Amino acid sequence: MAEPIVAGVAESDLGATPDRNWLDNAGIATVRALEDAELTLADVDGVAVAGGDDYMPALVLAEYLDLEEPSLLEGTEIGGSSFENFCGHVGDAMARGRADVVVIAYGSTRKTGPGRDRSLEVTHPTDGFVRPTGLFRPPGAYAMAARRHMHEYGTTEEQLAEIAVSTREWASMNPKAAQRDPITVADVLESRRIAEPFNLLDCCLVSDGGGAVVLVSEEKARELGVPEIAVAGVASTSTHRQDISEMPDMTTTGAAVTGPKAFDEAGISHDDVDIAQLYDSFTYTALVTLEDLGFCEKGEGGEFVTGGTTAPGGELPMNTQGGGLSYCHPGHFGVFVLIEATRQLRGDYTGDRQVGGAEVAVAHGTGGVLSSSSTVVLRREDA
Amino acid sequence: MTGNADESASSATVEDRREEWAGPVPVPSGANTEFWAATLEGDLLYQHCEECGTAQLYPRAVCTGCDAVDPPFEPSEGRGTVYTYTVCHVPGEPGFGDRTPYVVAAVDLAEGPRLLALVDCAPDAIEIGDSLEVRFWQVSDEAALPVFVPA
Ligand SMILES: [Zn+2]
Repeated sequence: MAEPIVAGVAESDLGATPDRNWLDNAGIATVRALEDAELTLADVDGVAVAGGDDYMPALVLAEYLDLEEPSLLEGTEIGGSSFENFCGHVGDAMARGRADVVVIAYGSTRKTGPGRDRSLEVTHPTDGFVRPTGLFRPPGAYAMAARRHMHEYGTTEEQLAEIAVSTREWASMNPKAAQRDPITVADVLESRRIAEPFNLLDCCLVSDGGGAVVLVSEEKARELGVPEIAVAGVASTSTHRQDISEMPDMTTTGAAVTGPKAFDEAGISHDDVDIAQLYDSFTYTALVTLEDLGFCEKGEGGEFVTGGTTAPGGELPMNTQGGGLSYCHPGHFGVFVLIEATRQLRGDYTGDRQVGGAEVAVAHGTGGVLSSSSTVVLRREDA
Repeated sequence: MTGNADESASSATVEDRREEWAGPVPVPSGANTEFWAATLEGDLLYQHCEECGTAQLYPRAVCTGCDAVDPPFEPSEGRGTVYTYTVCHVPGEPGFGDRTPYVVAAVDLAEGPRLLALVDCAPDAIEIGDSLEVRFWQVSDEAALPVFVPA
């Protein structure tokens, strides 16, 4: 089966972009990613867009970019994992000859954009069972899951904090990261309480920004002569939607399903994985995903991350751009895990920032309130 | 199964908080209409399928166990245990600013279904596994919120 190739990746400006709206950020990321691939908007067959504070985002972005007769329009919204999920849909379309160049794009102004005030009116049929509880979402929902994990497996707040510390070490080497000053476990534990057991430094940033990934067919990739970073495996699933109490077992996510499927499709095992880019909306998100993808046994995530396992120089480099915890988090982080995985596999960096000789990366998205999971295995084919 | 089909016998107190409540209110629709109507009487209903025995909440027009349409409601005893919880130090919805820190829990009802709910207790007075029982806060003409307290 033909595998789509990641031909280009880029971010828009990140952090605070008060002079931009979500479409500006998605559009800028798109043209930068096309430039990275040595392509232009005229080459684009379709777009896959999620998030965006809009209805019908694929149509909106296709219009904004004035795409001519796009053949693939994808807007399946499964939260932060949408972009990993798109990789499978785009691959299917390419295998059927429906498209050769597709842009996966995201943009937001989560930090400076129009008010986050929400109407008091509750009209969604199940909102009445969630919103009147006052649960601070998403942090409180993830916090409830983390609490249950602590109860069942003895995971500690210190162990969760280790993830924030290791991720910050990576961020310290990334000029684009919003937070680059080193932190300690004590700093995390002493930061402001948000939703117990989470403190501020257990929680991702709130940023503006966008990202884009250009997927091309194998034929197109050969024509372009780009490094062949192949989408070798993809799998997606969901366990629930807006109500965390609907999550069957809060200590196991859909990654336990998507990980094995994506690894099988790619024909890889854990020993083959050089880099993990795992959605880290919260410290717990990364911890439970490490377990569910099988990098350690269930319940041993806390021990696994202690002592710099995922930090620079560790045995499993994770979130090497600084993650959602320290680099940026404009709402749907999933596009950024694909971008960083690609850059590491291409060897774009120098010094300690570059994971030496990386050939296989796992990019994992999580959406909703631990609701959806999507795993992508990327492999450098010319390695 | 509660074994107690007499709804009035299991009713919990309903406190009228319509004046002071500034938070979101449920808007009854479809399959959840009967559930919210019962809350005004102090009854916590759940769906208990006659065909397959599945117990479920939130209310749905289909049984998730056997696909039966409109599985019937039964009154819960209104007792449960804490599956997990958090203490919100940041208000998650309008009207919750003066309430912080407050406890929100996932409560496993004795009959099986799990419900997200406010717990009216001090933040340090709750642990996973604790027993709770339901009260109701009426927040609109159409609905009273199930709120739990330590049993
Ligand atoms: Zn049934």
